[in-house]
Amino acid sequence: MAAVLVHIDLDGNRPHASSLRALAAGRVVASSWGATLYAAVIARDPEPRSEPGAPPRAAIVRLPGDANTMEAIREALARGGADKIVVALTEAAISPLWSSVGTAWQGVLDQLRPRLVVFGADAPSAVELGPRTAARIGARLFLRARATGIEEVEVRDRDGSYVRATDGGAAVILVGVAPRLPPHGEDDIDVMVLAVPGIADPRIELAGTAPAELAQTTGPLIAIDDEAASDPEIVKATRRLAAVLGAQIVGSANAAAVVGGGAVIERGAPVSPELCVTIGAPAVDVAGSASLVRIGGAGGKGVDGALSGPIATQLTELARVLEGR
Amino acid sequence: MTTRDDRAAAADPPSVAVWLGSAAPVRSIRWLDGALKTAAKFRGATAVAAGEASWLDLAADRAARAGLASVGVPTDLRLDYLGWAQIMASVARHLAATTILVDEASRPARFAEVAAIAELTDAAQLTHVVALAPDDAAIHASRAAGTTLQTVRIHGPAVIGVRIPGPPDDDYLTPTPSAAMRRLELAVLGLDPAVLAHRALPSRANQQTRRALERIADHLAVHIAPRKDP
Repeated sequence: MAAVLVHIDLDGNRPHASSLRALAAGRVVASSWGATLYAAVIARDPEPRSEPGAPPRAAIVRLPGDANTMEAIREALARGGADKIVVALTEAAISPLWSSVGTAWQGVLDQLRPRLVVFGADAPSAVELGPRTAARIGARLFLRARATGIEEVEVRDRDGSYVRATDGGAAVILVGVAPRLPPHGEDDIDVMVLAVPGIADPRIELAGTAPAELAQTTGPLIAIDDEAASDPEIVKATRRLAAVLGAQIVGSANAAAVVGGGAVIERGAPVSPELCVTIGAPAVDVAGSASLVRIGGAGGKGVDGALSGPIATQLTELARVLEGR
Repeated sequence: MTTRDDRAAAADPPSVAVWLGSAAPVRSIRWLDGALKTAAKFRGATAVAAGEASWLDLAADRAARAGLASVGVPTDLRLDYLGWAQIMASVARHLAATTILVDEASRPARFAEVAAIAELTDAAQLTHVVALAPDDAAIHASRAAGTTLQTVRIHGPAVIGVRIPGPPDDDYLTPTPSAAMRRLELAVLGLDPAVLAHRALPSRANQQTRRALERIADHLAVHIAPRKDP
């Protein structure tokens, strides 16, 4: 039976919300395609297991860390629809980098030979692991994809590319949206522990972490101009949209009361977020955004969406529609 | 005890190429210029682009302004991330480049090519780098990971996706064909267009700006923040 494999990032001691969304999409696809849905977690076990280069082995091994935490993760993945859970143990410190967890993840891929590999598009590891996984198995890659259809489910990205059950070859998808499913009933599911020999790639040395400056963040941004920021109705709708997108609102010093002191951005400063929604004509250089939507501004080259007309009305309606999804 | 000078003497400086991609930037050349300026920190770095003639002319012009030599691979193929990575990996081997920078920000899906080039060249990878500084045998990088900034040291062969802006330049002149760019045909790189075509993307109509609220909501739906369990 074909395998659909979902990579699960952890957010503290539970599955990352974006990974659970990927699991929901994987559930829909696996049910339609008659595939087994595996959820794979990489966990650190500092105890050396065998020589690097030795094949990974599936074994009954005591899981490292707090037993209650692992049980809570298992329950969450079972409720999310997983048929089976794989825990890949690595000696490397866990960080969202291929150099850190790539060897362990490769062990999972070798073990399962999945037809479809699914990541949450907003999960911390997705940008590092997703494309590398696709390149390693020669798969097609879908960014910000969704599962569509009811009986014959397919996966589609926003450029219109798709993968169906009848297609040959493997695919890797970074899921941006998934249906909300009721909790899955099966609680007693298998957990396979995979001890993967090997350490982190010494060529990449993580020396530390610190909060990023606003201009360096890759998460979604909403950039508001001074005039829009002075309109209470627009501000209210902007905040609703920011809440639904999980976006940071940014603007000039004149808009500090709206965006907050930490989100004031210098005039003309370049940003390169995954998504930028502009309200009015903010004085921020948004050309580096992966996706750009303008509210109250003209469309044009490289603009994915543009809403003209009264800003407050359009923005309120847009927020309402998105809140309902 | 190993001193800083010993380490510098023991290790060769990396041979660097910067992959500018297969098409001109979507909205601004600022990020292209930033990648080139970053590459110029490494002595002897070479800019590499592939695709149609007008794009190669632009890439050659911006590389020359940054003081870099350039290589172009003329082709009218339209490939996916792995197809373009095959071309860049072949150019890297041809140039004996061991460190490859990739301009990630000029086009949205380019970050996927970082991983693919790394896979094909058996190199380490690092995406979303927002600052980069060479220092003896190591490269110091800052990587954006959501709202945090990771400080990373890179040792040895690596493919590094950079999103570092250059100065704004919205009024640049359309470049003329450049003799300074060295053209490499696919055959010289040992690549067969018929084989590469297995990674071809289907041709699609140019994506027009969405103007209906429902269509924009559909576009934004894949960015809705995931809800956490209570």
